[in-house]
Amino acid sequence: MAVWLVIALGLALLAACGTLAIGDRAASGWISAGAAVGAFAASLVAVFAYHVSEGRHALGGAFFLDGLSGVFLISVAFVYAVVAIYSVGYLKPGIGHVRLRRVYWPLLNLFGLALLATPMVANLGVLWVSVELTTVVSALLVTSEGSDQSLEAGWKYIVLGSAGLALGLLGIVLIYAAGVPTLGDHYTPTYSILAHAGPHLNRALVHAGFGFVLVGFGTKVGLVPMHAWLPDAHSEGPSPVSAMLSGALLAGALYAVLRLGAIAQLAVGPTYVHTLLLVFGALSLVIAAFFALRQTNYKRLLAYSSIEHMGIVSLGIGIGGPIAAYGAFFHIVVHAAAKTLAFFGAGDLLSRYESREVDDVRGVISVAPFTGVMVLVGALAITGVPPFGIFRSELLIVTGGFSRSKFVFAGLLVLFANVAFVGLYQTFHRMVLSRSDSAGRDVARLRRPEQPLMAVAMLASLTVVLVLGLWIPGPLDQLLHSAVGVIGGRT
Amino acid sequence: MPAAPHYDFAQAVAALLAIGALLSALALLAVKQVHEQVRVYAVQSVVAAGYTLLVGIDRAEVALIVLAAFTAVIKVILIPVSIDRQITRQVSEHEVPLVVQVPMSLLIGVALAGLAYWSASVLPIHGALLPTPALGMPLALVLVGFFFMITRQNVISQIVGLLVLENGVFLATVAIAPGLPFAIGFLLLLDLLPAVLFYGVFARLIAARAKTTSIEDMAVLRG
Repeated sequence: MAVWLVIALGLALLAACGTLAIGDRAASGWISAGAAVGAFAASLVAVFAYHVSEGRHALGGAFFLDGLSGVFLISVAFVYAVVAIYSVGYLKPGIGHVRLRRVYWPLLNLFGLALLATPMVANLGVLWVSVELTTVVSALLVTSEGSDQSLEAGWKYIVLGSAGLALGLLGIVLIYAAGVPTLGDHYTPTYSILAHAGPHLNRALVHAGFGFVLVGFGTKVGLVPMHAWLPDAHSEGPSPVSAMLSGALLAGALYAVLRLGAIAQLAVGPTYVHTLLLVFGALSLVIAAFFALRQTNYKRLLAYSSIEHMGIVSLGIGIGGPIAAYGAFFHIVVHAAAKTLAFFGAGDLLSRYESREVDDVRGVISVAPFTGVMVLVGALAITGVPPFGIFRSELLIVTGGFSRSKFVFAGLLVLFANVAFVGLYQTFHRMVLSRSDSAGRDVARLRRPEQPLMAVAMLASLTVVLVLGLWIPGPLDQLLHSAVGVIGGRT
Repeated sequence: MPAAPHYDFAQAVAALLAIGALLSALALLAVKQVHEQVRVYAVQSVVAAGYTLLVGIDRAEVALIVLAAFTAVIKVILIPVSIDRQITRQVSEHEVPLVVQVPMSLLIGVALAGLAYWSASVLPIHGALLPTPALGMPLALVLVGFFFMITRQNVISQIVGLLVLENGVFLATVAIAPGLPFAIGFLLLLDLLPAVLFYGVFARLIAARAKTTSIEDMAVLRG
């Protein structure tokens, strides 16, 4: 297993160095796309060929994979792969606006590297460093369009993200200190050592520690009320970067919360961890759904949808139990596919209409039928319409909520998933199916032919979210069940 | 009659350093010039390095002594100097507009420190050499750093606020988890440097574009 993990990380690292060396050339894109697809394949092998469900160490204990890390690893690796493919098309002349092209590819690959490492590493300190690295790199990527707004968004992101991570680190330190009486002054804070000592950890310190972890890493997850950076960063960054932020970065930070939550619940019992996740999850769902109703910028609208979906996952794991938590982990996977599709579609619209405003985009279906269909299907997939995967995961969470008598939270999910549906779908419906109005626009740009690689990336995401809506393969099913065993099982 | 509590020399020095760290946090709230804010941060980092050194000597741990040396070089010299260079290169106005004026800031700072000590007293933990509650001072730094960041409308001041916040987390690590392996402490320190360089590049870009490092003009993105 170690060799596949090293291959995945090594490919991303090599691609980062290689593209830095050769600069802004056509080969940079191909190198990155190749490396990202290779890293995805290696991650799949590492997760599915080695029965990681029981938890496996590799490379002298530096890596650790179990059901929880497996779910997140395949999700972020998938996002990295499709984003790299899409970016090759998006950066072609005359399509996407990316001014800082020289640094785009090295940063994208570094971002991929840090995201892949996050669910792989076994040590809490290294986990923190890799999440911090994702912040630094992705904040630079957000500014790569070079506009004043992107600079403002990047600044907000780096300041709030770093402050949040500092608090997350304090949480890790407190959890480490909770183990000192049992494990001694000098111990390596790996998951398995802490999990083993779980029942003997100092309860008061674990309570405080997980609180800091949830607020700190929760800032990067975009949980309300720590979400202020998220809509700006998602809307002002180039669209492939937005897709990576939404599909993979938020998930990576959530992984850190859940990993530490799994340790915390061994010490203080699941109720504390699950209640905090329920409260923050419900708050994020409700607030984001309301904000989604009043957005006039379609990328911002998708950003609020990301907050809503992170809220749904937290809610599902907070409800707990084999049905809702299973649904929540499944939601991570399908959200990665659905949200990349939605942002890819949005990026295509932005490149044609050169505006993020909903009112400026009209009649997409008549000027660019393929894009129009993709955008509309993306909106349906992300709002949880059957037969897409999100419908299935949300249904599981709601069913789990009712089966555990968490009626209020299950009811909230039903209600506000519908509010978000109204906000999102009617907006995209209007943009795609209304009468075309190309007055005063660059018609050649508007009607440019489809970029094949962008189309391939969209179709890949669509396939995943559609197939998973109809059928969950056996190995994935097993992986999801074992993830439930790590944190979602008992209450 | 119960015996008076016994304090040895190291504990006395640690208590003094803790007071120094607290005072530096409050001093930060009192100064308006960006240059002075950076200097106060440097002084606070001297205290952080001193405390790390003291704990290292007391526990006879070479790793902590080396960490103290790195802290001194990076946080007392490298970071303040590089930020200072950013400031002189810019066309920035050097006095920072305040959302909350100095007297009120100080009062709030004292209240936050009180809150930090009160909440730390709930946690049953003994810090290395520090008087209980050991987490009071680091938490106070975190809270004051946050408050400073929110109420100072300047990019450099926001960096300083973040750095103070990180100083608080660093001191907490040394105080309650001095055995946290050297590799991690070292990684965190190394982590600061690229972050600051990055902030520097960023701050310069923002200043070059807007001709100011005030963030009052950065208010396009809302809602």
